[in-house]
Formats: sequence, C-alpha cells, structure tokens
Amino acid sequence: MMPTLDARPAKRRKRAHKGIHMKLLDRYEEIVGPSEVQRLRQLAARLHGKRIVHVNSTRLGGGVAEILVWMIPLMEELGLSARWEVIEGNPDFYRVTKAFHNGLQGLPILLRNTDFDLHYQINQENAKRLNLEADVVFVHDPQPIYLPHFTPKGRVGRWVWRCHIDCSRPNRSVWKYLEKAIPDYQATLFSMAAFARPLPCPMFLVPPAIDPLSDKNCAIPEEERLETLRKHGIDPDRPLILQVSRFDRFKDPLGVIAAYRLVKPYHPGLQLVLAGGPASDDPEGAEVLREVMDRAGEDPDLRILLLPPDSHRAINALQRSALIVLQKSVKEGFGLTVTEALWKGKPVIGGACGGITLQVHDYHTGFLVHSPEGAAYRIRYLLRYADKRQRMGRIGHEFVREHFLLTRNLRDYLTTLLYLENPGEGILVA
Amino acid sequence: MNDGEKQTVPTEPFALFDCSLARLAIGRSCSNLRDLLDALRNVPDTVLEHHMMRCALDDHFELYEFPNDLARWCWDALGDRGLAEQLGLVDPYQQPMATLRGMLVNLIEDRLWGLERVPWCRPGLELHLASSRMMAFDTGGRLPTLAALAQALPRMSSRSLFYHVHEARRRSGANGASSDDFSAWLEKIGAEPALVARIRAVDFYFLNLNQLRQEFIDAFRLHLTEPQVLLKATA
Repeated sequence: MMPTLDARPAKRRKRAHKGIHMKLLDRYEEIVGPSEVQRLRQLAARLHGKRIVHVNSTRLGGGVAEILVWMIPLMEELGLSARWEVIEGNPDFYRVTKAFHNGLQGLPILLRNTDFDLHYQINQENAKRLNLEADVVFVHDPQPIYLPHFTPKGRVGRWVWRCHIDCSRPNRSVWKYLEKAIPDYQATLFSMAAFARPLPCPMFLVPPAIDPLSDKNCAIPEEERLETLRKHGIDPDRPLILQVSRFDRFKDPLGVIAAYRLVKPYHPGLQLVLAGGPASDDPEGAEVLREVMDRAGEDPDLRILLLPPDSHRAINALQRSALIVLQKSVKEGFGLTVTEALWKGKPVIGGACGGITLQVHDYHTGFLVHSPEGAAYRIRYLLRYADKRQRMGRIGHEFVREHFLLTRNLRDYLTTLLYLENPGEGILVA
Repeated sequence: MNDGEKQTVPTEPFALFDCSLARLAIGRSCSNLRDLLDALRNVPDTVLEHHMMRCALDDHFELYEFPNDLARWCWDALGDRGLAEQLGLVDPYQQPMATLRGMLVNLIEDRLWGLERVPWCRPGLELHLASSRMMAFDTGGRLPTLAALAQALPRMSSRSLFYHVHEARRRSGANGASSDDFSAWLEKIGAEPALVARIRAVDFYFLNLNQLRQEFIDAFRLHLTEPQVLLKATA
C-alpha cells in the first residue's frame, strides 16, 4: 500500500520523523485548531478518571462502530477510562432488532410476542456476560436497550441511551416496548430535535461526526486513488456519481439507479457506483442487494460494489473520484457518508430526510431532493456547472470542519457528562 | 484618526472566554401557528432563550434576514411573512423573559385573531422546540491592551464572539444596562469614547458571527494608531 500523503506542517513531520511521540489530539489540533482541543482538555479535566463504557451491537460496519473506533482512544487520551463492549446475539435476535430499526423509522413491520421476549432474554444474557461496571454507560441504539434492567443496582453510576435512529414516527408496538426501558436511564442523546419523543429524562442533541484522520477520510495518494478505480473497472476519465451505503431500502438504491438512468441520455459517459458492505447486525442486506443487482442489469457503467467492512481506503478513493455524491435516503439517522463526502469537497445530493437536512443545504453544500426525478434534475444541474460544484465543495469542507468533526462530537459527550454531574444552572469551566 | 492606543492604561486585562451549548430537545413540535402560541404560553424560559437568542450560534448560510428561529419558521415554513417581519423586530435583549414571552404571545394571538384559517406547515418543516444550557470556558487568554484585543479578534472563535457579545447583552440586559463585554472593558480602561460608542452601537442582531467579527475589525481599524497590527493579524 502506498503511504498516506502527509499534510502535516514541516515542524510536526520533523518531530514525528525523529520519533517524538505525537499524541492523537496533537494531530487533530492541526485540523481543528488549538483552541478546540484546549476546550476538550478543560472539559475532560473535570471528568478525570471517570469510567465510561460504550455498548453497541457490532464492532464492524455501520456508523456507530466507526464512531466508537475513534471515540474510545480519544476519551482515554483525555484521562477518562473508556471501554467498548459489544453484545452478542443469534441471527434471530438480529432479525428482530433489524425489525425494530425498521419500525422505529416508520416501516410497517410484524413482530410476535415471542420476538419481544427474545430481545428481552438476549439482553438479560448479555447483562450477565458483559463487564458494565462504570460511572457512565452509553447504550447505543435499541439492540442493548434493556441492559440496565438486568444489571445489578450500583454497578453503573448513570445510564445514557444514545439513539442514532430517526424515531420521529415510530411503529407503535416497537416504541411502546422500547419506551419501557427508558425509566432506567438518566439521559438520552438524539442526533436532532426532530428525532426526539417526549421522554422522562433530559434529551441531549448530539449530531454524530467523522474522524478526518481515519483511513476513510484522510488524504490518499493519487496513485492509490487511480489504482482503486482500475481495480473496480471504473474509467477515471469519465464522470462518476456515487452512493456509499448499506444495501438497505431506506437508502433507496433503486431510486439512485432510476435517477442515473434519467440522466444517462444527456451524459452518455456517466458512470454510477453503488458501494456498500455487509454489517453483522443487518440480515436484510443480501435481499436488498439482489433486488439492486436485478435492477442494474448488464449496464457496464453501473457498478455495484460489495466491499468488505474494512474497505475504508477504497471508499475514500471512490468518494474522492466522484464528481457528485448521492445519499438518496428516504429515512436517515444522520448519514455519515454525507459528512465524508462534504469533507472531501464533494457536493451532495441527499434525500430530504433526517440528519441529511442538517448537512445538505440547497445551493450551499448540495441539494435536498424528494424523488428520483429530483435527484436526476440536480445531477444534470451539477454536471453542467463545474464552478458551482467546486464552490459547494469548498463550503461543504469548511462546514464539516466547523460542525461535524469528532472533536465537536467528543465535546458534546463530555458536556453531557458534566451536565449530568451538575444538573443546575450554567457551568463555568476554568 | 485618533490616538486610542496611547490613552489606554488597562488595570485588568480582558479575559477571553469561549462557550459551548448543551442543546436539549423538549419533545415538543409545532406544525401550525396555534401550536406555537400554546407552546409560547407554557414552555420554560430556557426554550424561549434558545430560539430567540442562542440560535445565533447555529450556522445559517443565508444572511440573517430574520434573527430568531420563530421569525424564520413563520417565514419559511408557515409562509406568514407579515408575522415573520413582526417577530423579527422583537428584540429579546432589551427586556426580561416574562415581558418577552408576553410580547410574543400577544403578537401571535393578535395575528390568529384576524385569520380565518390557522397557518400550518408541510410535514418535515415543523418547529422542533429545544432548550440549551451554556457552558463557559475560561480560555486563559488575557488581553492587556486595546491593540492586543484588536489583534486577537481575527483569530477568536465565533463562539467567543457569541459569548462576549450576545451572551453579554443577555446577562447585562437583565440589569437594564445592556452592553457587550468588549465595549464595557474598553470603557473601563479609558479607551477612546468614539471607539466604545462604535463597538456598542454595532447592530449585531442582523449579523452572523463572521459578519460581526468583520464589523469589529473595521471599527478597531479606524481607531487604532497602528491599524497594521490588525492587517498582520488577519494575514
């Protein structure tokens, strides 16, 4: 593998070259500025030694796992004691939790009482198996939501439920079942206010974020980018549009294909790549992938890439190669792929839903659309105006730097922790 | 050009703060004007404070046509332009919360009184109510002179600007003597009164934070004996 382009200032490179230990936060400081990192250190000083545990349902695949990969070491470096636990379940459990996910996002689903019982029982088993002793446990999404119910009192100081899903209009039976777990929590975190429902504890608003230094987002050498295109049979000299996401109906991959086909007659050289990968907690992916492949047919300019979960550099290369990135979801918790594309200076055409609306602003960072026709119209527009693509790319990059990098996300988590410790008025951090 | 720099003999340096908001949803949304009226009558002060003042910390690409969330929502989502204009003119920094709440309720009630149909928004454009809690950070930065403050402005975080201008106005407004921290400090150290007056007169309500920064830089540039200090800092 070719080395990563080193964009660090010469002084830093020299220090690193000499073998001087460079902390993670020093590296982020070069991107977000010293004051942002200083704020993190100030906040963390008030939380020194706190034992934090994050629990989710997979170590690989999906946005939650990607966030925890960077959050744990950064919390550690800031003096907190952070760990990551993953629940285990059988395929039937993941079928049920996938149905929960769909139901929370408003899809009609059918669940039997035995399905709820299974979820409850697997949570009980995991509560016995996992090491949850901590001052604060962040429980991510509905899969492990009943852990507090089965954990002996006193083992965990405070429970926080972090919901990454758009549950603004949930299926009633699913919500009623999950809602019963909430009284065991001292706080909840939602990505945006529209997702929150009336709950009996504070509901913090914390949009997620990306790691600009990760393999998925760091600068890569041009040769590596071109090699990735060659490997997947993509012509680097013709325009490329791209959607990166799991093969999930909420991501509307069929709508993306429809939009591409509407544009193709006007831009015969256009290529579309739908890149996705499996996640161990998503049993529906294979079925959706089959539908997508059927719809794609034999078009040589339409490539469907099923990438392993660790294909971060390949996705990075694809995003950097695209003229326009699509995320035509019809429901979306946040859409980290949108953030990734904006960070790489690409305009994004996104479905007008969920967290995409926080990131895509018409004529500034891309366009929000409501249909395949809308996506096709905006693709044609952006293919026509290179200068607008570039301007949106510049704005999008800065917008992400200000709002959606991991330092801001970490600040929000630390702020939440401090708030929980000081539930009074405003806080002064010296 | 006057000699503001030479006149200033500061006793206490300007303490530079930064801030961060913990935003909290309250689980309540408005999809029509009557919902908003009901909410304004009942929600905690922190919700009013968030949507009328702290929304300035949120990034909006558009110019600050309407400087608070309520006016913006009435304009964008309800299409009630007249009411948006009225709400846009409500200055939340000049009165206590109870008075502000009364003004907002009165405006909306009056508007509803004259309408046959309640203005409503399409799904997806609802106003999701939130509150916030301020976390202030002492950056440790101490600016001993007017020139040092001027030099720090271009590099100051936008959240610092918010803290020293918007939040300062909110804090001091409650005492009936609304002022930003910059002009208050400049006055205290005996800076040129014209500079103090100019800084204090900046109508920040219609500026986003970057525009506000530029206004201050321009003001300092006019009043510094050595405006090149600022040029160097912005370079």
